[in-house]
Amino acid sequence: MRSLPLFSSCLAALSGFACAELNLSQPLLSRQVLPSTFTPPRVFKNVNLVRNTNLDKAYPRETINVIIENIDSKSQSEYYLPFETSLLSRVGGLEVKDKKDADKGAFKVEVVGLDAQSSTEFYLIHLPTPLAPKQQQTLSISYSVLSALAPVPAKIAQSEKQYIQYTFSAYTPSAYVTEKQKTKLKFPSSDVPDYTTLPADLNAEKKADPQKQGSTFTYGPYSHVPAGAEQAVSVRYEFTKPLTHATLLERDIEVSHWGGNLATEERYWLTNQGAELKNHFSRVEWQKTQYLNPPSSALKGLNLPLHPGSMDPYFTDDIGNVSTSRFRPGKKENLLELKPRYPVFGGWKYSFRVGWNADLSTYLRKLSTGDTYVLKVPFLEGPRLAEGIQYSKVHLRVILPEGATNVKYSTTVPLVDGKTTVHHTFMDTLGRSALELHAINIMDEFRERDLIVTYDYSWTAGYRKPIVITLGMFAVFAAIWVLGSIDTSIGKSKKA
Amino acid sequence: MAAAESETDKFIKQVSGRNTRGLLRVIILCLIAGAAVASRLFSVIRFESIIHEFDPWFNFRATKYLVQNGFYSFWDWFDDRTWHPLGRVTGGTLYPGLMVTSGAIYHLLRFLTLPVDIRNICVLLAPGFSGLTALATYLLTSEMVTSPSAGLLAAAFMGITPGYISRSVAGSYDNEAIAIFLLVFTFFLWIKAVKNGSMFWGALTALFYGYMVSAWGGYVFITNLLPLHAFVLICMGRYSPRLYVSYTSWYALGTLASMQIPFVGFLPIRSSEHMSALGVFGLLQLVGGVEWIRTQIPSKQFQTLLRALVLFIFVVALGGLVLLTVSGVIAPWTGRFYSLWDTGYAKIHIPIIASVSEHQPTAWPAFFFDLSMMIWLFPAGVYMCFRKLTDEQVFIVIYAVLASYFAGVMVRLMLTLTPIVCVASAMAFSQILDTYLNAKTPKAEPAKENGDSKDAAKVAAAAVLPEGLRSTRQPLIGVYSYASKLTVMGASVVYLLLFVLHCTWVTSNAYSSPSVVLASRLPDGSQHIIDDYREAYYWLRQNTPDNAKIMSWWDYGYQIGGMADRPTLVDNNTWNNTHIATVGKAMSSREEVSYPIMRQHEVDYVLVVFGGLLGYSGDDINKFLWMVRIAEGIWPEEVKERNFFTPRGEYRVDEEATPTMKNSLMYKMSYYNYHSLFPAGQATDRVRNARLPAQGPELSTIEEAFTSENWIIRIYKVKEPDNFGRDHQSATSFDKGHKKKKAPKRKGPRVLRVE
Repeated sequence: MRSLPLFSSCLAALSGFACAELNLSQPLLSRQVLPSTFTPPRVFKNVNLVRNTNLDKAYPRETINVIIENIDSKSQSEYYLPFETSLLSRVGGLEVKDKKDADKGAFKVEVVGLDAQSSTEFYLIHLPTPLAPKQQQTLSISYSVLSALAPVPAKIAQSEKQYIQYTFSAYTPSAYVTEKQKTKLKFPSSDVPDYTTLPADLNAEKKADPQKQGSTFTYGPYSHVPAGAEQAVSVRYEFTKPLTHATLLERDIEVSHWGGNLATEERYWLTNQGAELKNHFSRVEWQKTQYLNPPSSALKGLNLPLHPGSMDPYFTDDIGNVSTSRFRPGKKENLLELKPRYPVFGGWKYSFRVGWNADLSTYLRKLSTGDTYVLKVPFLEGPRLAEGIQYSKVHLRVILPEGATNVKYSTTVPLVDGKTTVHHTFMDTLGRSALELHAINIMDEFRERDLIVTYDYSWTAGYRKPIVITLGMFAVFAAIWVLGSIDTSIGKSKKA
Repeated sequence: MAAAESETDKFIKQVSGRNTRGLLRVIILCLIAGAAVASRLFSVIRFESIIHEFDPWFNFRATKYLVQNGFYSFWDWFDDRTWHPLGRVTGGTLYPGLMVTSGAIYHLLRFLTLPVDIRNICVLLAPGFSGLTALATYLLTSEMVTSPSAGLLAAAFMGITPGYISRSVAGSYDNEAIAIFLLVFTFFLWIKAVKNGSMFWGALTALFYGYMVSAWGGYVFITNLLPLHAFVLICMGRYSPRLYVSYTSWYALGTLASMQIPFVGFLPIRSSEHMSALGVFGLLQLVGGVEWIRTQIPSKQFQTLLRALVLFIFVVALGGLVLLTVSGVIAPWTGRFYSLWDTGYAKIHIPIIASVSEHQPTAWPAFFFDLSMMIWLFPAGVYMCFRKLTDEQVFIVIYAVLASYFAGVMVRLMLTLTPIVCVASAMAFSQILDTYLNAKTPKAEPAKENGDSKDAAKVAAAAVLPEGLRSTRQPLIGVYSYASKLTVMGASVVYLLLFVLHCTWVTSNAYSSPSVVLASRLPDGSQHIIDDYREAYYWLRQNTPDNAKIMSWWDYGYQIGGMADRPTLVDNNTWNNTHIATVGKAMSSREEVSYPIMRQHEVDYVLVVFGGLLGYSGDDINKFLWMVRIAEGIWPEEVKERNFFTPRGEYRVDEEATPTMKNSLMYKMSYYNYHSLFPAGQATDRVRNARLPAQGPELSTIEEAFTSENWIIRIYKVKEPDNFGRDHQSATSFDKGHKKKKAPKRKGPRVLRVE
């Protein structure tokens, strides 16, 4: 929690009377480092655990519903969730709720790192009310794993079906003894040519493992699985859609009080993690198949649903405007249809930027008390694809007008870092306060999450720039006048 | 500007309303500059803010390098991403003026915290400087004539004439963008210096000459024109201390300034192109010395002796120069220079120069196209200069003669002709306007002013003609009548309007296409952009390794460097003819010959431009003969142009194409897989209107990697050597399931087995 006090002290220095306990979202990256010999105290047991793995999208979404029971003699409030070190860095959007009381909001979660030798790391879940001995509680843990799907075979022909493989443990990893558990897998289709079959005697009901039901597979149930037990299984299924992965998204939101404008610019670095082309790209074959529009592992287009009232969109990349885009304003949303310059096949990359303007009044509200403004913008907009998009890194920057102070923010998106910096642009003298927020491993499901920023902005700050520019112009004219009236001739000028 | 204003104001006789006129003139000039900028923005409005064509992409890339890495590393820039594997000492082989100018503007804007993209600065630099050129033309013309309207007309002409717009539309980020402004402004300063005999103006001339040297290779034009002017003045017996002061201060300072540019270096004292400036410098010293001696010893005989001496020294100096050139101390004239005198020279000796379309001799309609009505006003203006022939008007005459010749020899030199055409025709046009607009209807004055001549005429007329002739009764005839005024003014206005219309039309239709992006119309009339170049370049940029070497014809080298950001073998800086010929040979030979060449040069991808599907005529098959010719220049035994023509002398790509043509790598790459886009036997090439063979070409050493949407760009990957050590032909045929070609065994007739 190093950055938070620093951040709040910055705020305190800026505003003078900031309250640190205001609804600041807390960065996830706390990482108290523990020795590698650490094992979580065995104070809980999992009475019943059901894991749902949804493979509909280009990334697996896991939901673990687990009834936990305190088997210790004291009240406990720290529940550990283990992950492999390599996996932990790819887990995104982990949220824990009380299954029975979901409205209460997400529990506080932090990453607990072990030192370099350890192969396991933990998410530490803080229960809001400590669980008394012998008491039970139902947790609903949901998260997604990025870059978890591998195409097998790794190279396919241009219009071939794509199969991808997901490897996981049939026993849900847990730091505690699990009495009963099962895993349900939901596939996008029933075309699942390969999957690991486990011996029936592992199964609690001595049935064939897994159980198949259409496009749903069930591993388990298993009983009395000890802590830390794993059983690797993998499934391979058809998924002829692009595995769109944004290695980086930079998103700038610029607030202009004078212009009444909210300018958004997003810069994407996309890559398709799907199967690479066995041979090279053939334009003939592509042109022949495009009339039928078959499913393809290539990313052909992106649709950005913008808020109604968005205008002046642009779509460019490193070498200029991309002419293959369409903007369809509508009642519910303004759809920006983008087509990359070329179809993005597996292993190919495409980077671009899009931007648009919007009327500020729909996003900004002035509080009746004093000069405080509240800005509510979506944390993530971005393309809407049926198969989803995963973002490794998201850098969001909210550039507030020059002279905005006392900047606070709040969002339900898990962040790793947040700070206020100064951004100089368009004849600024002091520079604008810019709020920089970093998040990792985000999915497009977070599109609906909002970011709320509050800041103070007095009316005098708005007049600083016109005055400075006026004075500057006068200074220039005065300097020219003074220089012009200097006589630079060497001899006496002969005025005839 | 302010100083020039006060100078020109001297010409205005009326003191009343002087300030109003000055203000009006400033406003008009600002409007002209605005019009000059605005008329160059067609391409930005129609397409986008993009760098055009070929060379500008290099300048843009170099500017980005300068902005990112600072001036010193730009100065020492060795670019290993071009001319692989040779590299290019870019910092020492370019004219840095353009890049440094935009870099300075960029940093100024950064200082004012205006976040303007460097690309936009580069795109808009040429229109911005064309506004300045209009101002410089105003200043230059105002030095030539007393009429205040000539300068304004010349500025307006310069602002919108297509001859200049062709090289300065938005996005045309080339050296000429700033060089024409510098050219005109240097000439203005020179005239100013000659007129005043001022060291200050001479030094300013040198300063801007130095800037010009840093910006464009065409500075040689100034280097030769100013000495020629001085020489002609001396020959006319117009030597004066003013000339001496201005020339010597320009030459000494200007030569030093020009030698600061690494690319120029010691050329000003070692190459033939610069020797005339040095010669005239020496001549001026002699003449100056002689003049001084003459004032000391007023003897006519001595003077003639001295004149002979001057001539003698001149001849000796010239002889020495020739001797030094022959012995190699002074570099002889370059090929480009020879081609200025003999238009057929390049075609025979240096095909690479001849292959550039802008080095071709100008076709005569181009003069009307680029200059419109000015082409017939121009001689009139030059004639008017002859009437008075002051020092500065001699300059106009020399400039006009030289530039007219050069513009006829090479298309791109139309650019140097344009300023003088604007100046001369503005002088002629303003003469018309002044004559007809300013001529006050003489009421009582004619008797006073023209008293003698009129009387003399009357007497003469009375002697011959009978009394009462209408023309003698009525003084209000000829120029002074409203009818003639109205007719001439009306005609002039119509001409001016037509000129504006023509300029706008030419700019909009001929000179505003970025050529990177092509436009076409959809059936519903909306614009459709054909963006194949950028599609393919961006594919290369995103999906190939950072140091993948791309082989293409040199035309596309700069674009690949700028847009795809990948190393190239050859580019538009055609400094190494052999290297280009190597690429030409690889393109025009059979695969078995090309493959080792490509492997030796570590080529990863080959890029060709093919317009057959779309009917895009600027493609590689149409440029192919130049590749063949350039390759033949180095390997006359292996590549023969004749073999690419059918026995009847036709250049064909269809069934009747020669085997050499059909087996050449370029042909194969262009038409590979193309036939499968059409029903069997229906494949047509829309550029050359040819029905292609039903069986398409086969490739074995390279494979198709990417083809753009309209097939304009095709990229091939060079295969790695075969894993089993086979040659690629047999490996391909093995993969296809063909049996290894052995001598077919003759079996006997089939016999029915009976056991």
